[in-house]
Amino acid sequence: MKRVLEGSHAVAEAVRLAKAQVISAYPITPQTHIVEILSDYCSSGKLKAKFLRVESEHSALASLIGAQSSGVRTFTATSSQGLALMHELLHWASGARLPIVMAEVNRALGPGWNIWVDQTDSLAQRDTGWMQFYCEDSQEVLDTTLQAYRLAEEVNLPAMVVLDAFFLSHTYEPVDIPDEKDVDRFLPPYAPKFQLDPANPCAFGQLVTPAFYMEMRHDIDRAMGLALTRFTEIEEEYARLFKRRYGVVEAVQCDDADVVFLTSGTVTSTCRLVLKTLREKGEKVGILKVKLFRPSPVEHIRAALRSAKKVAVIDRNCSFGVGGIFAQEVRAALCNQPGHPLVYSYIAGIGGRDVTPELLEDIYWKTRNSEAPEKDSIWTGLQEVAHGTQRA
Amino acid sequence: MAGSKASKHVVPLLMPRSYMSTESNKTGSWRFLRPRYDEKTAPCSTACPAGEDIARVEMLTAQGLFKEAWETILKENPFPAVCGRVCFHPCEGICNRGEFDAPVAIHVMERFLAETAVRYDLKPLLERCPAKKEKIAVVGAGPSGLSAACFLNRLGYVCDVFEAASEPGGILRWGIPEYRLPLSALRSEIAQIESEGVRIMTDKRLPADFIDRAGDSYDAVFIGCGHGRTTMLRIPGEDVDGVEDGLEFLNRIRSGETPAVDGVSAVIGGGNTAVDVARSIIRLGGKAVILYRRRRSDMPAFQEEVEMALEEGVELKELLAPAGIVKDRKGIFITMRPMKVVGEDEGGRGRVEPARGKTQQLLVQRVFKATGAESVDERYNPPDRRRNVLVLENGVLVDRPKGPAVFFGGDLVNETKSVTHAVASGKAAAIALDTLFRDGFKAVPGRAASCAVGNGKALSMEVYLGGERSSRNPHVVRFAEVNTDYFHFAPRITQPRLMREERLNTFKEINLKISATLAIREAERCFNCGVCNRCDNCYLFCPDLAVMREQDLTGRHVDYDYCKGCGLCVVECPRNAMTLEEEER
Repeated sequence: MKRVLEGSHAVAEAVRLAKAQVISAYPITPQTHIVEILSDYCSSGKLKAKFLRVESEHSALASLIGAQSSGVRTFTATSSQGLALMHELLHWASGARLPIVMAEVNRALGPGWNIWVDQTDSLAQRDTGWMQFYCEDSQEVLDTTLQAYRLAEEVNLPAMVVLDAFFLSHTYEPVDIPDEKDVDRFLPPYAPKFQLDPANPCAFGQLVTPAFYMEMRHDIDRAMGLALTRFTEIEEEYARLFKRRYGVVEAVQCDDADVVFLTSGTVTSTCRLVLKTLREKGEKVGILKVKLFRPSPVEHIRAALRSAKKVAVIDRNCSFGVGGIFAQEVRAALCNQPGHPLVYSYIAGIGGRDVTPELLEDIYWKTRNSEAPEKDSIWTGLQEVAHGTQRA
Repeated sequence: MAGSKASKHVVPLLMPRSYMSTESNKTGSWRFLRPRYDEKTAPCSTACPAGEDIARVEMLTAQGLFKEAWETILKENPFPAVCGRVCFHPCEGICNRGEFDAPVAIHVMERFLAETAVRYDLKPLLERCPAKKEKIAVVGAGPSGLSAACFLNRLGYVCDVFEAASEPGGILRWGIPEYRLPLSALRSEIAQIESEGVRIMTDKRLPADFIDRAGDSYDAVFIGCGHGRTTMLRIPGEDVDGVEDGLEFLNRIRSGETPAVDGVSAVIGGGNTAVDVARSIIRLGGKAVILYRRRRSDMPAFQEEVEMALEEGVELKELLAPAGIVKDRKGIFITMRPMKVVGEDEGGRGRVEPARGKTQQLLVQRVFKATGAESVDERYNPPDRRRNVLVLENGVLVDRPKGPAVFFGGDLVNETKSVTHAVASGKAAAIALDTLFRDGFKAVPGRAASCAVGNGKALSMEVYLGGERSSRNPHVVRFAEVNTDYFHFAPRITQPRLMREERLNTFKEINLKISATLAIREAERCFNCGVCNRCDNCYLFCPDLAVMREQDLTGRHVDYDYCKGCGLCVVECPRNAMTLEEEER
């Protein structure tokens, strides 16, 4: 059934269809709409889940760790500072191998206080052992959330479904909501591989000596590897039922492209328009949309960029002192490939600033017309700021 | 350690898992600080001359355990119905809650509990010690004599109380107006004392040489006959017709008379008696002017009483000292000398001396003297400190080589002449005489000191008898030691009262009853400083589950096998009923 939905509500619909049993969250803009509607569903009985009101995001995730350990399907959603506050427990959830699913609405971190889109919050959590999916539109958000449950529960790793603040979370689009019975076929009830059981008391997660800790960590890394292959298979299955597939990456006209845009999130949609314009002008340009960030689809990136001469990475984030984070990932993926394309790193749209078609076209021409990147990381669209500078 | 398999794929899933109980890890061995339950002393209980265990009384009241709360008062004071009404409640002045919002209305709840006991005809469960051979005579059935008899009786002694008047109660019966202390309230408490075994003989005026002759029948005599005579003004004309004794006037009213008070009456004095006389005059249809040599703020009368007196139409003239009284056909002329304040005495009361300026004349129909009272016979005044005379906080013990020991108490010895100080005298007498009989004269000061509440002036009978309260730490809890995070601001109860118009021509009690709901709400405001009310914060906060609750939920203890000594329980205790100490190694 098609409905016009806000991106946030697309997440909520997916959680409803996934029949999450425990939901715990603390409100934060721009995430709040997701849990608002879920708490409605819980109180009306539309979703038979326990909604825990907690005093912080730290407690939200802590309570889900407890709930999931007892063998139920769980959900939370957060943004920005909220995710940062969860940091300690993000590690715990993956270390405890709990398949918790979270919606993370990309929002800038303060100060300056800013509620608009910026990927730095989620990318700063890249080493916590959570899988991360970056979505482009509301339909993808809904589909990915369902797939995330399936994948997380198979490989016992937590998953983060990431969507852009406002451009996605608060934009209404037509969304096809799958039939509950079909979803049940795709996503059966959670069958935990281990759980707390009062009849057979035991403790999880206690002291582990150097003799075993490394093996445990190796298993998390191996499970990430398994997730990469399993995701493609799960997507196959999903596509058979619902006729939609996105891929861990999506390569758009990359085969003959000299310059390839590498994008994630909603910028991809803008880029698709720019691609059309440039192709009409005869430019050999492509797009590589990266959906799966963790586990990193290294092979997919290498394959898609095989024949490209230059790749222009658009990063709506910054690791200060290094530059765009996606760009780092791409460089790392390519560095051992002989004759790999030049990597141009562009930082754009930080803190909710619009990434316009004009800006992307600018980036294209700059990339195409230069021999090599002028800098390792290029900030785009900066204004002249006269005040507020001081001599160091 | 265990791995697990998914149905189709091998999922690497090495996980730490233990089936061993964590109880094998005795984390108590890590401890270098030790928390313990350590109940302390609430400031109110040290300020109460009777040493009532107020923090516990309020705790029980808040829990709806009204009988137990009432009994807790009775252990230290046989007069809660009286004191709830007429005590000047120094407990509230020192209440830690006063630093937070407003002091707990302790006296209101004391009266509530006493009234509840009457309403449901409750009989207190009070222990009486095994009977002892010594017999004690009590002279005067006022608050100090009745308290002495009550406590001595509980300690196992036979007590005979001799009262000159036709009914026991002393100043409570004959000196305090009905609108402040209704007869029924007093009678029920005296009846309770009698029901415990005290014999009261009324209309028995003893000769002053009774002390010397009592030895035949008694081993000790308690003298608590009070100050029955108003002191002289020492001015010319004070014995003219129309100049009356204020106490005598109050006595006549409480005996059922309706003295004539037409016209204006002057009342000389600034204490409660002066205010009582003035307000009684108003109720009898007269007009009253209080003449006081100091200022209103210096008056020893309760401020609330003064305020209500003014509301009711009593006039107050400050800084005027009577210099002479002359009677003629028109009435009585009082000559008054203006006074001025020249500094303060030790208690912060203004010191005055005659000021320059003209004397004033006031024409009245009557004059009432209410400037203080004195003992009717020299022999009732306690002797000075000597080898066989022990001066205690609220009494003087004389150990006579021949004849019975004598204890002087009540208004005869107390600097502050209040009901509660009289109760304190009675208790001091019981503790002193019991110690005297059992361990001798020299043991008395030490024994008395050992049952002082919080090492202060008030004595506790429960501590003397080795009750639960004797384990309390004498440390007095300060406001800063209360964890106020656990308390909300809440307004102090407003005492419901008769309206001014209702008060003017009746002696009906002014302060009205309050409901149990209001009493509980007010009791809940109490911090219960230093006393455990089983809120279970310790239990909830202990990260090691080392706080153990007894099966019947009456107590808590720390399981030192697992307590790591983090101190959370002590910090989160709202009322400072726990202490954290360095572990002895």
